[in-house]
Amino acid sequence: MSTNSELIASAICVSNLNKTVVTQEGELTILNGINMDVKQGESVAILGPSGSGKSTLLGLLAALDTPTSGEIMLDGVELSVLNEEQKAALRKKKVSFIFQSFMLVDTLTALENVMLPAELAGVIDAKSKAENMLERVGLGHRLTHLPKQLSGGEQQRVAIARAFICEPKVLFADEPTGNLDSVNGEKIADMLFALNQESDTTLVLVTHDLQLAQRCARQLTMEVGHLTETTKSLPANDVHSAVEQTPHKAEVV
Amino acid sequence: MSWQLAWRLFKRELSQGQLILIVLAITLAVLSVSGLARVSERLQVAINGEAANFIAADRIINSPVAIAPEILTIAEDIGLKHVTNMQFNSMVYADDNFQLVTIKAVGEAYPLKGVIELNSGETSSLPSKHQAWYENRLGGLLNYPKHVELGDVKFDMAAEISRLPDGGFNPFASSPVLLIRLADVADTGIIQPGSRVTYLYQFTGNPQQLTQFETQVKPMLNNSQRWVDVQSGDSPIASAVKRAERFLLLASLLGIALACAAIGIAAQRYCQRHYDVVAMLKTFGASGKQIRQIFTLHLLLVTGLGILLGLIGGMLLDYAINGFLPAEIAAYSPPYLRPIMLGVATGLISAFMFSAYPLLRLLSIPPLRVLQNQLEGLQVGMWLHLLLSLSAMALLGYLYSQSIELTMTVVSAVLLLGLLLSVLGFVMVRIGHGVGMKTTNPLQLALAGLRRRAKQNAVQLVGFSSALVLLLTILALRQDLLNEWQKQLPENAPNYFLVNIAPEDTKPLDDFLDSNNIIATDIYPVIRGRLTHINDEKLISRDQHKNGTQGRVGISRELNLTFRDTLPPNNEITQGTFNQTDDEVSVESGVAERLGLSLGDTLTFSIDNQRVNVTVASIRTVQWETLQPNFFMIFRPKALQGFAYTSMASFHLDDETLAINGSKLTANALVLQLIQQFPTISVIDVGAMVGQLRQIIDQVSLSLSLVLALVLLASALVLIAQTEAGMATRQRELAVLRTFGASGWLLRSATGFEFALLGAIAGFLAVIVAEFALYMLKTQVFELVVYMHWPWWAISPLAGAFVVAVLGMWRCRQLLNQSCGALLKAG
Repeated sequence: MSTNSELIASAICVSNLNKTVVTQEGELTILNGINMDVKQGESVAILGPSGSGKSTLLGLLAALDTPTSGEIMLDGVELSVLNEEQKAALRKKKVSFIFQSFMLVDTLTALENVMLPAELAGVIDAKSKAENMLERVGLGHRLTHLPKQLSGGEQQRVAIARAFICEPKVLFADEPTGNLDSVNGEKIADMLFALNQESDTTLVLVTHDLQLAQRCARQLTMEVGHLTETTKSLPANDVHSAVEQTPHKAEVV
Repeated sequence: MSWQLAWRLFKRELSQGQLILIVLAITLAVLSVSGLARVSERLQVAINGEAANFIAADRIINSPVAIAPEILTIAEDIGLKHVTNMQFNSMVYADDNFQLVTIKAVGEAYPLKGVIELNSGETSSLPSKHQAWYENRLGGLLNYPKHVELGDVKFDMAAEISRLPDGGFNPFASSPVLLIRLADVADTGIIQPGSRVTYLYQFTGNPQQLTQFETQVKPMLNNSQRWVDVQSGDSPIASAVKRAERFLLLASLLGIALACAAIGIAAQRYCQRHYDVVAMLKTFGASGKQIRQIFTLHLLLVTGLGILLGLIGGMLLDYAINGFLPAEIAAYSPPYLRPIMLGVATGLISAFMFSAYPLLRLLSIPPLRVLQNQLEGLQVGMWLHLLLSLSAMALLGYLYSQSIELTMTVVSAVLLLGLLLSVLGFVMVRIGHGVGMKTTNPLQLALAGLRRRAKQNAVQLVGFSSALVLLLTILALRQDLLNEWQKQLPENAPNYFLVNIAPEDTKPLDDFLDSNNIIATDIYPVIRGRLTHINDEKLISRDQHKNGTQGRVGISRELNLTFRDTLPPNNEITQGTFNQTDDEVSVESGVAERLGLSLGDTLTFSIDNQRVNVTVASIRTVQWETLQPNFFMIFRPKALQGFAYTSMASFHLDDETLAINGSKLTANALVLQLIQQFPTISVIDVGAMVGQLRQIIDQVSLSLSLVLALVLLASALVLIAQTEAGMATRQRELAVLRTFGASGWLLRSATGFEFALLGAIAGFLAVIVAEFALYMLKTQVFELVVYMHWPWWAISPLAGAFVVAVLGMWRCRQLLNQSCGALLKAG
């Protein structure tokens, strides 16, 4: 197994990452000496209570924020040497997102929302790709619906379609089922893992839902700015086993 | 790609009604500018045109000798229409009667403006060869003869003139007019070398042509030649026109300022709506350039639509207003180019400069906002917003009014408002400390709401207050201007002037007027004299001055001097005291200023070749617009004793008047009676002129009301924009309060109180700023009397509270009626 892990390249490699912010009460350390390594195609859940720094870490890993110190390599690129424009270009090429609050543009239709990243990236057949993605998440009949005309589950499916349209190398998901009931949450999770597996995307998932975290290959836990490996059920470097052991079959059309 | 995205966002947001406010704000700015520009240009042209009718042309050169032919060639080259007329006094004979008349010998093209009104109706023709048209009082004086003799020609008295377009208003040109053709003058043989003749060269053309002509020709005129236009001098028409023009400009300027405020607020809201979109686009890797392109294009589309709708609205407004205007005004159609250009410039400048700061904030939204919703962009740089907004307002103001005074007044009023609001915002935050969300008392809840939203409230106050300031300013100015005009032109403004009253006729005339219940002004003696020296320094003419002669410049013509013991009505002493001794004189302030006179200066007049020395004892202002006999110089009776004089008076006569014996007499019959009884007195009928002045004032009033309506519309829009801006946070708060058990009554009362308090504060601030703006405007621009509007200090806060509360409650009615669940879901 260890040989396997050495052969697979790192999608994300973090060393000695720190993030402090200045508050009225003084300096506050949010992340303290984080080290982690996520292999290409691996699925990793970051668990932890509210305020533990999960989302801050996600923001840093996804090149949305800048660390106080430390190093992050995203798909082999050192983030600290990039300016905002270069970071944006990197995100456009390699990264995608799913959010708890869906973050759909409420004035655009489902189809137009899915097309958005593809259009920004200059993909020529953005429309047909978006239609195809929506078909795959089971919303082929809802192309012209506005977000407010869709249920929460449907909105998150649109967000999943949007996340996968540009075939990202790394997908960051911030509490993707946090706004959904358990039935819908499970369906969304199935879909997310199935698509992830299909497209061999690296998945970094922030959640405090243990059950959802268990579906990832690895679980890391944040506590007061420290990150520890808490993977129990599966070997840390068995890349696909988590998905293979998924109890539900993904509903991919 | 950016274009496609921008277009898609625009299309979708438009169809979902999210852009209504900002588009409407831009539309209103463009509409008020283009519409008002067109309406005001039309009215100005009409007013100037109507006023030009008084001189039957746009410009006149008045000369005692024929002017150089090159002047007429220049006029022709420029494309001006012109006509040459000649005017002189002469005696005409009809059987045994004779009468001194003013012969008006006119060229073919006369009149260039207006029409000749005959008793039989209007006409566009002229008398035929050897025919004369006569002013109606001449008919009475000569017993309606069939012919009159003028020099060697016997003229047919073909028609009676009721009004000439350039009837003029000079009470001293007292003889009745006889209109003949210029070509007939030579036949009469009257004009000999040395004869006293006035040549009147009348010109008409468009403003550019006239300006060009004026620039070229004015320097060629000598001292004895006078350049006359509608606005020259202190004529009542000129001053009414000038004020009306300025008011229209100001009102439009305020309209623009208000619409800009609406745009500013709408733009802020527009940008806030897009915070998440920008964060999301950045997260998905959109470059800074892409985001800039998308939102610049998006705003350009929004602005373009606003401008287009505004221009259409402006034209419709103009069309609608035109329907209400008298046909002769509606017929004036100034070119569309300026209103359209102004509209487009206003739309672009206001939309982009007022949106610049919110847009900068929008573009600087960090992508991390997708994870941390509270993050916002650029926090500093409010000064930039202020600077951009003020520059936009000043730029637009100047572009539109071309008047620095007006522009600066508006900008400084805005600055004052900003300063007051900053102070108030600070005070509100201070005072509000410790006021929590006590959910028992609606007033406390309202105060807590005000404090919590202090920052947002400050922005809202800008809108409420500016709307109120503008309303108050426009209302007050409109009222003041109308009052001023009405005062100058009271219902019983004199419509008849009596001149050439011989001293021995004074008493019998008084009796005659009394017996017919006519209340006349005082009878003023008139003596003509020339001012020759000031403090023994000989005065030089303007021409001599131009030719390099050193010395003090005097008045080139003879003045009408009067004498009396008391200060006449409508005169006000500004310096010194009214004549106490016989060697003192009271001088009109305008002349005193022009001649550089001060109290104690010695003036020497030449009257009938005799020198009269007097000392300036007082300087006084005169209301020239009152149509009463007014004088530059007033002496004591003894100072002018021994000089021959005639007198003048004026009075008002209704169309029908009651004679002493109870029988009704028409004004005309009464005047005729007067003429027959006092054949040497000349009666001048200025009724027609008064009528026209009144018509002008009516037109101006109409335009003022229209402007007021537009300003009201703009105010309403700003108020709606205001409440709209605060809706989201209000909804969240209501949801929380509802959840924790606040009753519907409590929430409704608290919301009502909050809006009412906000309105009251806005009303109070508005009065302060409006009084300041009015002070500036009245002293710097309109020359009106300044006074405080005390009732407003109570009315404005109350009205502000009422209007804002009603509007706010109306906007919140859905939120207030929603269930807790619905509120939470929507929030």
